[in-house]
Amino acid sequence: MNTLTTLDKEAEKIVAKYDKKNAAVLPLLHLAQEKVGHITPEAEAWVSKWSEVPVVHVREVVTFYSMYHQKPVGKHHIRFCTTTSCVLMGSEKILDCLKKKLGIENGQTTPDGKISLEEAECLCACEMAPMMQVDEKYHGDLTEEKINKIIETLK
Amino acid sequence: MEPILSRNFNVPDAWKISVAEKRGAYETARKVISSMKPEEVTQQVLASNLRGLGGAGFPTGKKWQFLPKEKTKPVYLVVNADEGEPGTFKDRYILERDPHAMIEGIMISAFAIGSHKAYIYIRGEYVEPYQHLQSAVDEAYSKKYLGKNIFGSAFHLDLVVHRGAGAYICGEETALLESLEGKRGLPRLKPPFPAIVGLFGCPTIINNVETMACVPSIMKNGAEWFAKLGSPGNGGTHLFSLSGHVKKPGVYELPMGTSLREMIYTHAGGIRDGHQLKAVIPGGISAKILTANEIDVKMDYDGLRAAGTMLGSAGVMVMNETTSMVKALLVACKFFAHESCGQCSPCREGTGWAYKIVQRIYNGEGSLKDLDTLLSLAGNMEGRTICVFADAAAWPIQSYIAKFRKEFEDYIKKNSKTKAFQTV
Repeated sequence: MNTLTTLDKEAEKIVAKYDKKNAAVLPLLHLAQEKVGHITPEAEAWVSKWSEVPVVHVREVVTFYSMYHQKPVGKHHIRFCTTTSCVLMGSEKILDCLKKKLGIENGQTTPDGKISLEEAECLCACEMAPMMQVDEKYHGDLTEEKINKIIETLK
Repeated sequence: MEPILSRNFNVPDAWKISVAEKRGAYETARKVISSMKPEEVTQQVLASNLRGLGGAGFPTGKKWQFLPKEKTKPVYLVVNADEGEPGTFKDRYILERDPHAMIEGIMISAFAIGSHKAYIYIRGEYVEPYQHLQSAVDEAYSKKYLGKNIFGSAFHLDLVVHRGAGAYICGEETALLESLEGKRGLPRLKPPFPAIVGLFGCPTIINNVETMACVPSIMKNGAEWFAKLGSPGNGGTHLFSLSGHVKKPGVYELPMGTSLREMIYTHAGGIRDGHQLKAVIPGGISAKILTANEIDVKMDYDGLRAAGTMLGSAGVMVMNETTSMVKALLVACKFFAHESCGQCSPCREGTGWAYKIVQRIYNGEGSLKDLDTLLSLAGNMEGRTICVFADAAAWPIQSYIAKFRKEFEDYIKKNSKTKAFQTV
């Protein structure tokens, strides 16, 4: 709970932006996840307290949206697009290379806890297909070479 | 054609207010808010034939007129920036490169509908666009273009940027409202429509990013000018997202009604690597597919409806002759099975079963009968659910099989590992 109470001031600001407190559930969860790395039961309770939404409903929200991590993920999180335009442009081959390079499958994290991989649906950057998102940033026109370079820069 | 929506896309730092203002941002909002009546704005938007550019194509001015005349509750303006339709990336360009055009459109639209609070719901994965947008909103506040007494008038407007969290369905406007209220994104049963009962139970207008970005130019140059840019009943230009097997994928601003052939061969440079065109999805993954012989079609709401498909989000995905339609349908079915919100059983079960059947075919374990099972399944999803997601999931199944049935049959016959299942 301690880590989260340091966010109380920010939570107060977020809640104040909305006309109803329950509207703050998503942004509060984003904030908690940024701090903790994934959504813990403590984080759900903290969001429930600030949004005045019963914790069971907070839990529902956490399980509904793909961006909330219910278990720890790597220090860097990769979302790899697996939808139409990326597949047309050869994403499957690149994804196989990436899995081989990292030694992990969809939904897994490298043993050193550094990188996790998620096969994602369209990230709406089809002009740079095949593409993936590493943390906040989009990377497009992926080739095996480019993937290797990107992975090597991740610390 | 002089670019309108994309005029600042290649101007460095146009997302910063200092650059945007040098390019004329907020001049029109200033003029409108300090000298016009709200009804006059609505009339102009109505006369411009501006249609909602999120996919449904509903006339924007008409939507605004659905608001109750007597105002007993606050009115909300919600901007749908939850871009998620596979094949579409136009709103990302506006959000990241020219957010002030949209913010100015929001100011004018909120003024027209009498709203003092607007929310922009931006998809969660769009982190960099969000950062540009939030900074643009902050800058607009610091210049006092947002907040109290805007341009010295009696008009107030607060604008909040709200991030989604990864759910395609939240692009459906009532699911978006649920999500904005801090809940799972389950579409609401309509009626009541959001204009009557929307956000927090109050009258709400939901408009797309690009629709908002059109509003300043309509007010600046006049409704007639805007209407003339497009085709009859489909005003203005539109940002078309082109991707797949074209030489130059990207966002193209073109008049409504431009032909699909011109788009692919003139603007996007034709098919890459010396290949031939096989098929095109003209309006995002939900739109019914067109074959290479069907591309002499006008790209606007009415033209594509007449061709048996839809403009949708104007996400054009181009496929060459090496594309397997079985694979393409597999990818589409995976998408819909993953993104169904699970509220209505025909959709929750139907998308899952469709994916499993197409997977079976793809793995060489299918039978010819599976094709009819898929069509029957799709027919039982269409029109039987709260929102149009199930219809959108049914359309690729129906159109890929109808237009490429022989390819599906040949694939099944050639790849079937279990001879006994080959025939009906």
